[in-house]
Amino acid sequence: MRARSLGILTRILLILVAIMATEFVANTLVFNRANRFALHEDDAHRMAEHLVVARRLLDRTRPAERPTVASELSTDRFTFRWSRSGDVMPASLSLNNMRSQILEEEPALLAAKLRLHLLPLPKGGDVAGSMELSDGTLLFFRTYQAKGLWTLTFGRILSLIAPTLVLVFIGIFMVRATLRPLNVLMRATRQVGTGDPQPVPEAGPTEVRHLIHAFNEMQLRIHRLVSSRTQALAAVGHDLRTPLARLQLRLDGARLDPETQRLMDQDIHEMTELLRSLQIYLSGEGETVPAERVDLAVMASTLIDAACDMGKDAHYVGPDHLEVEVRPVALRRALSNLIDNALHYGGNVRLTLREKEDGILVIVDDDGPGIAEEKLPEVLQPFVRLDHARSRNTRGMGLGLPIVKDAVQAEKGSFSIANRPEGGLRATIRLPKATG
Amino acid sequence: MTAQTILLVEDDPSLRTLTVRLLQENGFLVRSATSAPEMWAALEAGPPDLIVLDVMLPGTNGIDLCRQIRRDSDVPIIFISARGSEEDRVLGLELGADDYLAKPFSRRELVARIRAVLRRGPMADANEKRRHEVEFDGWHVSFTRRELRSPSGAIVDLTGAEFDLLGTFVAQPQRVIGRERLIELSRTRLSDSSDRSIDVLVSRLRRKLSAAGGKPPIVTVRGVGYMFSAAVSRG
Repeated sequence: MRARSLGILTRILLILVAIMATEFVANTLVFNRANRFALHEDDAHRMAEHLVVARRLLDRTRPAERPTVASELSTDRFTFRWSRSGDVMPASLSLNNMRSQILEEEPALLAAKLRLHLLPLPKGGDVAGSMELSDGTLLFFRTYQAKGLWTLTFGRILSLIAPTLVLVFIGIFMVRATLRPLNVLMRATRQVGTGDPQPVPEAGPTEVRHLIHAFNEMQLRIHRLVSSRTQALAAVGHDLRTPLARLQLRLDGARLDPETQRLMDQDIHEMTELLRSLQIYLSGEGETVPAERVDLAVMASTLIDAACDMGKDAHYVGPDHLEVEVRPVALRRALSNLIDNALHYGGNVRLTLREKEDGILVIVDDDGPGIAEEKLPEVLQPFVRLDHARSRNTRGMGLGLPIVKDAVQAEKGSFSIANRPEGGLRATIRLPKATG
Repeated sequence: MTAQTILLVEDDPSLRTLTVRLLQENGFLVRSATSAPEMWAALEAGPPDLIVLDVMLPGTNGIDLCRQIRRDSDVPIIFISARGSEEDRVLGLELGADDYLAKPFSRRELVARIRAVLRRGPMADANEKRRHEVEFDGWHVSFTRRELRSPSGAIVDLTGAEFDLLGTFVAQPQRVIGRERLIELSRTRLSDSSDRSIDVLVSRLRRKLSAAGGKPPIVTVRGVGYMFSAAVSRG
């Protein structure tokens, strides 16, 4: 467990050490491979034969003719040059393997002091070498295997790069694993306040653990704060009703002039409505009422009929029947809020119900003044009221549309409002097909 | 007619006093209780004709209380609630409350509700009161929830007046009911006093009962009234 709670710094250090160690090991392996710069068996055999034959032949040739014979022995891939004396290149250590291979094939060459060395790359990077003839003169030779050697260098580059690539991938994996708890935390941060607190498991490096711990505590604090506010508001809504009931009964009993009585009744009614919308809005949060089969067309037309009966300009356009699976109380309230809003601000209402391929569309239109474009996003927020010049033009606590939004969201639908190009406001509820 | 006794269970002293006075002024005998134990004591003393019960009492839940009363008594109960949500109302009615009133209420409202419940309470035909559910042509009517469901089980919204009209029809199936009689019945209803003519109500009800192309079970009898043509079975 101790190892799991190492700090980020320690971890990155460990990662670096691991990378360096791996690279060291890998490089050593690669150089060892280069040391074993070896020929295929038949290549070694051919080369050995070539050298033995050339040596014997030149041994028997008179020194004056040796250069000619040497050049005659040369082929495209193997050249000989005879010299009485000359600088002998030091043997390359890296070609020891090749040398022992050749000597294994032709032990006679041991006496010839066979030396092999690699030519530098600008000169072709080929293998060259020298041996002594029996009279002590030197025979130089050189292979032309540029192509073969080139593949060899390409292979070397590849073998040098490959471990680095592997290391990069391992590094990415390790860093990601280290940062994963941070990602979890990040996702959880976006969810704060949208529901019950979801504690993030404390994992990862010490710093991240501390961070997650602090985050979880903060999450709980926020949740407690929100729910205590909600409870306080709910208590207000609830506790005010009893004094309001007393007030209503006292008012009914008081012998006031009818006009005062009517106005005070209205005040009490308004207060009651405020409390009601507050209680509905608060109870809507986290509500787990099951969905039921409901005739949405009848629901909508019943609400419109009721508005008509009150003498309002209300119309329903849509089928006689359309059954869906929804939470009836919440959806009825949503439709009712939209109809009330349209009638109150627009003076009329036209509700259109349409069944479409991808879902169900409920459109509530009015011919009123609409809402200023820049205010549109605001009105879906709770407790937002668009106060015009006459401040009492708006009613309620600004919970009507948020209640609609919550109800539609509970059905996994979407709710939007927009100004109609021909004037007036349009509220649109889209319900997913699954509810149909 | 002797004065009827009402048991008022309310924990708020002022509201209790006000309500008691109101009910007495309207000719009821009133006993009051401030808590569940007091209520049980009052019930021991003698059964009232009706209980007005505040749902939120200290220490107890009016809903549980209602359930307990219902175990051995059919006494009509009117809930008084400070919540006033639709879900609460339905729950209260399902648990056997006869009516549900949200605070604040007017004097007129409370008295009217009490009178209405008393009228259809023990005074009413016992069969009538037990008639909680009926069915016709696959349609289902629940009188406790005041709810109509289509043959496919979907809730079909009705206004109060429409529901009462349907109630009248299913109570007297295959019998011609005169228009005058229906108008009279709809007038005696207290809430939902819409001025719509009975013909509009009937046509709306008919449209709602026309699901899946089936013929609505309300037949017009020219010059006389209407008849509910479907067979009604009590659930």
